[in-house]
Amino acid sequence: MYTIYSATGCTRCKIVMTKMRELSIDYQEYDMKAEGKEAFQRFYAANRKAIYRGPEGVEFPVLTDGQVIRQGLGPALAWLQAGHELDGFFRIGVLHKEWLDGITVSGGDAGKSDDFLAVLRHLKKNAMRLQVETNGKNTEVLASVIKEGLADRLVMSILGPLSLYSKIAGMLISEDEVKKSIALVAQFPEKQFQTSVVPICRDSGEVSYLTPGEIGEAAALIAEAAGNKQQPYLIRLFRPEGTQDEALKQVESINSGMLLPYRSAARVHQVKTEIEKAD
Amino acid sequence: MSYPSIYPTGTTVYDPTKCWNGYTIFQAAEEGALLIDMNGAGVNMWKGLHGFPNKLLPGGQVFGHLGVRNPAYGMQDQTDLVQVDWDGNVVWKFDKYEYIEDPGEPPQWMARQHHDFQRTGNPVGYYVPGMEPQTDKGNTLLLCHKTLKNPKISDKTLLDDTIIEVNWDGEIIWEWCCSDHFDSYGFDEGAKNILARDPNYRLAGGGQGDWMHINTMSVLGPNKWYDAGDERFHPDNIIWDARETNIAAIISKKTGKVVWQIGPNYDSSEQLRKLGWIIGMHHAHMIPRGLPGEGNILIFDNGGWAGYGLPNPGAPKGIKNALRDYSRVIELDPTTLKIVWQYTPTEAGYMMPYDANRFYSPFISSAQRLPNGNTLITEGSGGRIIEVTAEHELVWEYISPYWGKQLKLNMVYRAYRAPYEWVPQLAKPKEVPIAKIEVATFRVPGAASLAPVKETTVVGAKPYLLDPGVLCVAATDE
Repeated sequence: MYTIYSATGCTRCKIVMTKMRELSIDYQEYDMKAEGKEAFQRFYAANRKAIYRGPEGVEFPVLTDGQVIRQGLGPALAWLQAGHELDGFFRIGVLHKEWLDGITVSGGDAGKSDDFLAVLRHLKKNAMRLQVETNGKNTEVLASVIKEGLADRLVMSILGPLSLYSKIAGMLISEDEVKKSIALVAQFPEKQFQTSVVPICRDSGEVSYLTPGEIGEAAALIAEAAGNKQQPYLIRLFRPEGTQDEALKQVESINSGMLLPYRSAARVHQVKTEIEKAD
Repeated sequence: MSYPSIYPTGTTVYDPTKCWNGYTIFQAAEEGALLIDMNGAGVNMWKGLHGFPNKLLPGGQVFGHLGVRNPAYGMQDQTDLVQVDWDGNVVWKFDKYEYIEDPGEPPQWMARQHHDFQRTGNPVGYYVPGMEPQTDKGNTLLLCHKTLKNPKISDKTLLDDTIIEVNWDGEIIWEWCCSDHFDSYGFDEGAKNILARDPNYRLAGGGQGDWMHINTMSVLGPNKWYDAGDERFHPDNIIWDARETNIAAIISKKTGKVVWQIGPNYDSSEQLRKLGWIIGMHHAHMIPRGLPGEGNILIFDNGGWAGYGLPNPGAPKGIKNALRDYSRVIELDPTTLKIVWQYTPTEAGYMMPYDANRFYSPFISSAQRLPNGNTLITEGSGGRIIEVTAEHELVWEYISPYWGKQLKLNMVYRAYRAPYEWVPQLAKPKEVPIAKIEVATFRVPGAASLAPVKETTVVGAKPYLLDPGVLCVAATDE
């Protein structure tokens, strides 16, 4: 028996419960704003480390089969669809109402694309608008998403210049896939290219941020693959709390003002480059 | 108020012994940047060079712009800022702030500059002994526009004001965005309500809210307040004012935060009540070190209509709800907000309030402190540029004869006085005094003289007994 912790009026929770009924999965619902408040408090106290609490509180639904906990609409549906097989494709996002993000075509095993697309179809059937992300990996999956109309907005992270791409990604990503993905995203009606100015461990052993010149190369890569210089391109701040690498967490943070040279370098190749403002 | 249909233009008042003599630069409406001598002779017209504003530089160079964005898509967006030499060659240019693709127009980079800019070496954009703006190096601060949305202010698209600093190579090295600091400007709930509904919505570009309308921006420069330990007045800090919100503020260059401010309301403290409402102001700046009054803030307080707040009969929706039909130039101590000098209709010799709007420009305008203590005032809407002494004597007056064809105004946005030495290309011009003209007897050809043909004594007529107290409206301080 599954347990789902929900909140009164939570549309996303209802979508997950609909899916469980379709799959004939028995479940118990605890509405944490009503009769399930204490049950959720006990569950949360016992599983604090596994449950994400953001600036606006806990993201619902929270789903568990007694062993595994999945939080958020995307991760919950992915678990119901295919268990661990879809790990990496879905994470908790930041968008609300009818928009769902945290969907990454590059994050999981391309061999499980059928199940991945099935989850997206279920979300679209339930009137969700989907922001889908990629860093270039799994181009064929991206192509399928686009072909079936399963995305409303595409966000492509250009990790850096091609020479540093796989290093930054922490895995091998073919240059060809990156360029093909750029070309696909560039033609999509609503899209955003972005690069976070991250610190990387150089061959010398030194840890330093991507340079303005390297961001310029990333912008040039977009221009080459997209065929024009008018793509929306956002240069983003590095967030140390988001990295798993302890060495990178120690690097001194930078602020929006320090991104101006990056913007200047990028604008040579992408005229609509802008920089992210800190919250 | 009555305004004569026929009146002399060019220089109409001139006492060389009392003026700070030099050249005056201003934008002649729809003609170009014009440099005149004290007698009003045009010594160089940079034909077609836009000016928002024009500023003279040492060596006979001038700042201006090559063009403006199609008003259908942008409001007051100058395409660039250029530095032009005496012969019209562009020696420096900046335009790479935003790539603009307007329907039917060639896509291009634009500076989207408006209202002001400053060059390293001189904080305020006008002549200060010992503070020459750099002409072959240095950074430039520009006041620019950015179109964006900020749900804290309104759900409508906003025409926001930004300040950028660019180096000599045209790279943007610093940027400040006005709407980022919305929470710090002190708008009350009435102002926020009307801002949300109508952030001064303008038609250009499919509709944009020109909510602040910053129209001046300059650096404080070295000053006595900072020397005395007041960090608010750090020399690198920037002062600006906004005509729609009636705010003048100083921001920290280091943090971008507001460190000193007057407005948007002027009834929240005894100091501000004594200062009086500053409405639709222009050219708020700190008088630089080296000039009389250094450290004080000089403001052209337009009057007119501005502000956001509760509705009143003059502003039924609450937008532009502060109203006044005369202008004043005020110089105030920024630490006490006391007025240390002013030029208002009273000092100009007009009866208040009856004839107050004889000194009145509801938009544009400026005030420049001169090295001898005089002040050059641009009363812009009527194209009038005057120089007054510290004792308020009018010693120079120039009325622009340049009327626009697209806009039927002889407006002068801002005029600046510069020393003769800044134009080495010319010999020092002759300074010919203009004898004072008695207006009562000044006649155009064909008009009769003053004296009546027949003067008749009426037996029993008593002397006139006139006092402001007998006029139909009360005096301001009655």
